Formats: sequence, C-alpha cells, structure tokens
Amino acid sequence: MKIRTVLVDDEDLSRQILREYLRDEEDVEIVAECANGFDAVKAATEHKPGLLFLDVQMPKLDGFEVLELIDPEVAVVFVTAYDRYAMKAFDAAAVDYLLKPFDLERFRTALQRVRRRLGESVRGPAASELKNAAQAPGQYARRIVVKDGTRVHIIPTGQLDYAEAQDDYVALHSAGKSYLKQQTISSLETALDPMRFVRVHRSFLVNLERVTKIEPYTKETRLVILADGAQIPVSRAGYTRLKALMERS
Amino acid sequence: MHPILSTRNSFLLYLAAWVPLGLMLGFMLSVSGRLRWTESASITFPIVLVMVFVCLSPWYSCRSLPLRSTSKEKLLGQHLIAAMCVSTAVVVIAQILVAAFGSVFPGLQGQFRPARPVLATMVALIYLLSIALHYTLLEMESSRRAELLSREAELKALKAQVNPHFLFNSLNSISALTAVDAAKARQMCIHLSDFLRNSLRLGERAVVPFAEELTLTRAYLEVEQVRFGSRLRVFQDFDDGCSDCEVPPLLVQPLIENAIKHGIATLVDGGEISMTGRRSREGVRVVIENPFDPDAPETRKSGFGLINVRNRLQARYGSAARLEIQVEENRYRVILSLPCETRKVKLEEKAARE
Repeated sequence: MKIRTVLVDDEDLSRQILREYLRDEEDVEIVAECANGFDAVKAATEHKPGLLFLDVQMPKLDGFEVLELIDPEVAVVFVTAYDRYAMKAFDAAAVDYLLKPFDLERFRTALQRVRRRLGESVRGPAASELKNAAQAPGQYARRIVVKDGTRVHIIPTGQLDYAEAQDDYVALHSAGKSYLKQQTISSLETALDPMRFVRVHRSFLVNLERVTKIEPYTKETRLVILADGAQIPVSRAGYTRLKALMERS
Repeated sequence: MHPILSTRNSFLLYLAAWVPLGLMLGFMLSVSGRLRWTESASITFPIVLVMVFVCLSPWYSCRSLPLRSTSKEKLLGQHLIAAMCVSTAVVVIAQILVAAFGSVFPGLQGQFRPARPVLATMVALIYLLSIALHYTLLEMESSRRAELLSREAELKALKAQVNPHFLFNSLNSISALTAVDAAKARQMCIHLSDFLRNSLRLGERAVVPFAEELTLTRAYLEVEQVRFGSRLRVFQDFDDGCSDCEVPPLLVQPLIENAIKHGIATLVDGGEISMTGRRSREGVRVVIENPFDPDAPETRKSGFGLINVRNRLQARYGSAARLEIQVEENRYRVILSLPCETRKVKLEEKAARE
C-alpha cells in the first residue's frame, strides 16, 4: 500500500520541490496539497494520510498547532528555513526536520526514516501532550486550538472561562460555548499561565479573572461562581491554591 | 588626564568652589584666634593656594584604591593617613607663615595657637571632601565610558543586516525553479545578487541617497515576488523630491520585510503593500501600509525590524525623526518621517561656515 501523503507549505515553490523529489518514489502518493494550517487539518482529517510534510510558519495555524490537531499516528516531516524549531519538532515526535534548501539525498534519508516509523506503527503520546515538554519556561500559550470535525476553533487563553476533565478529553468553556479537545487537564494546566489559571479541583481548571464569588458547599468543599453563573466545585487543596493566588493579586 | 584639569571650564569651576571654602577657612581662623581680617587673610590666602593643588592629588590615590575592589579598612586607613599628613603639613606651613608675618602683625604668634586645631581639622575635612569628589568623578567617568561602549556595541549590532532566513527561503525557491523554469531561476539569482551586492555596499555607508535605498528595496521585492507569487502585490508612489535626500541605509527595506513577514505571509490570499513617499519642507514622509491577520499564529509575532529602524533613527536624528505605527483592525501602517539632508544643503552649510 502506498504512503498517502499531504504537502503543507504556503509557498507554491516549496511544494513544487517536494512534488519533484517525490515523483520517483513508487510507494508515495500525494493525496492533497495545502497552503495554510486550516486546510492542513482539514486534509489530514478527510484523507487520513500516513505522512505529512509540514511547514512551520503559515497563515491561520502554524505547523505545531496543526500537529496538535491531527492523528498522532501520522508521520510528520517538518520543512522550514528556520533551525530554531528543531528541538521543539523532535519533542513533538516529528520524524525528521528538513532545512530549506535541501537536496534529494537528504530528502531520501527523511523518507527512509518515515518508512521505518510507519513500519513500527507504535502509537506515541498525542502531540498536544508533547508540545508542553518543548515549551520555554515562563512562556505560556496565548491561544488554544481545537478541532471540531473538520473545523478548527481558536480560543485565545484570555477568553477561556474554565476547563473540565472528561476522560481523555478536556471540555473548554469559552463565552457560553464548549469545545472538546483530546488532551489531559494536567497538560493543559502546564501550558497555561499559573498566575491566571488555577486548578481548583482534580477535574477543573478556572480562569481567575472569571471568579466572582466563593461559597461553602459541603463541609470539605466549596463552590466558585463564575461571571457567567457557572458553578465549579473546589476541593480543599484547590481552595488553598485559589486563596494563595488571590492574595497575591 | 585629570578630569578637572582637562577643560578650562571645569578648572574655573573648581577654583570658584575654593572661594567659599577659603572664606570659610579665613572666618574660622579669625573667630578661633580672634585675628583681624587682614591677619587671617594673609595666612589663609597662601594656604588656600597650596590646598588648591594638594586637593587635586586624590585623583591618583583614588584611582589606585578603587571603591569596589578595596577593603573598607584599607580605604579608610590610607585616606585618613593622607588627610592627617596634609593637615599636619598645612599647619606647619601656617606656623612658618605666622613666624614670617611676626614683624608685620605683632602678637600673631600667640593668637594663632588656639586656631591651630581648628585649622588642622578644617584642612583634613576639606581634603576628605576632595577625595569624595574624586570618587564621584571617577564613577562618572566609568559610567560614561560604559555608555559609550554600549552605544558603540549597539550601533554595531544595529548595523543593517540581511536576514539569513530570507536567503534560505530564496535559495529554496531557486532550487525549486531550476527543475521547472530554469530562466526564471537564473533571473531570481540575478535579483538576489543585486540585492545582496547593494545591501553590502550601502550597509557600509553612514548615509545613502533615498533613491538608492528605494532601488535596494525594489530588488528585495523582486526576490520576494518570486517566492510569494500572486499573493504579493505592490503599490508604490514616491515624489521625485525624495530622491536626493540622504538617509541611513536599509531604513525602508526592513519595513517592507516586516510588512511581508508579519502581513502578507499571514494571509492565505496575501495582499497589497502600499508604499508612498512625500517630500515637504520639513523633510521626507514615507508611509508603508499592509493588511495582516490579527489572529495569526504566535510564531510570527516579533517586531525586531521596527525596533532596529527606530533605534537607528533615534541615534542619528534624535527627536527630529519619528517612526509611528498605526494598527486598525487588519491594517498595519508604519509612518516614517525624517528631516531631508541633501548633499547640496550640506555643501552650502559647509561653505557658509568657511
């Protein structure tokens, strides 16, 4: 079976090279070409490719955000002129990292790696989990990307009211709407600024700016009331964290 | 060179500071010894003359005992010993003067005795004061030197540089073109060479005619045009009067680079960069406008190019030049205004001076 491949680069000529180099590869089939991040996510969902050639800097979504939203089993080869993302790319379990411009020989090495990876077919952790490992200290996500079918939603972190853990997913609540994302609440917590988001409960992460009131609930627990009226349970440890943060600000 | 002796003004200022000090010294002497003002003045004046020179000497001792790297005990000990030596020497000189003036002012010898400890204390205090002054001067000089060095380093760092990623991306485009359109690949090599050669040549100069900066910017746009194809559209309109204004090199090109990187490249369908230049009596006004995606991914966000241009303007023109940024929803506008210095104006100014 051929390796179904999607080319993602906003520059026509960059895709042109990939096309040229792939022409003689019998086992590779190009199923789609995309010029921006949204299209890439859409193509990855619709065509179920085995391989993605991915640029980093693109309109709409960057390469890493695309990676977060697609099936982690897809082999990804980054193609970019910037060497500064290499560490982050390998942390995100990319198969290879091609620096523009590259020659055919280098390209074939990358393809060999892809074949080996696809042969192994071990399921790695989701890219959204790995992305945090590559996060620079003191730098927190400014937005969260979520996929809904083939559509992509972008939630600026300031507009996130609270997040709720639901098995392998988190439900992100923003402006009265709720979005499901495949990510653990702990990894979301590490991606967000700890001065603005508090883990008030094992299953709940709250935007501090939205908290209007804290009420007693049972003997051990409390409730926080958010600006939109949502009631979130607060555990005892969560209350300690919340109080510490509120006293600091 | 001693900082006080390095300029005439600083030396005069130093002498002026001695007038109140001398008056105070004379006053203290006349009070403590009940001397008449003529007696007090005839002793004080030569002493002050000696002190004027003695109090310049801490420059050397202060330099050999830097504040930061010398222990407190050593610092205090050395300077106190010096102050005591100076004060003893001055009292001895004063005693000699008193003896010499004995014939002119009878009874002076006896009157001076109670004034001696006052004189010794005053001289020691003034000497210690001069030490403090010299440490202040040293500190000022070292901070000024540090500022000068950092400024130099800054200017070096700010020197217009070609963005290496622009090169890699362009070379990648050429690499792609060689297989599909060799003529176009060759053409792009030529545009790229034009741009590189010019940016190297202009980058070495302090100022270049605006027309040359524009040529460079256009060469840059030619290269980017190949990369972005129909996504990049350019509108330009410049007054002829701008051409011979002398501007720092690579002033407009980084702004265009910015407009592409943070503007056109963030848009799926690209957009139009508009650049206009107007010449007025105040100088040149360049406006660069481009659309951008306010929701672009984080990887794009950085404004180093703009800061660099702003700092270079500041370094050269101070407040006479401005770089203004206006953001409206999805439009980004940079307004650059700077005085127009033409070579002709400079020659005329030079002629007028001579």
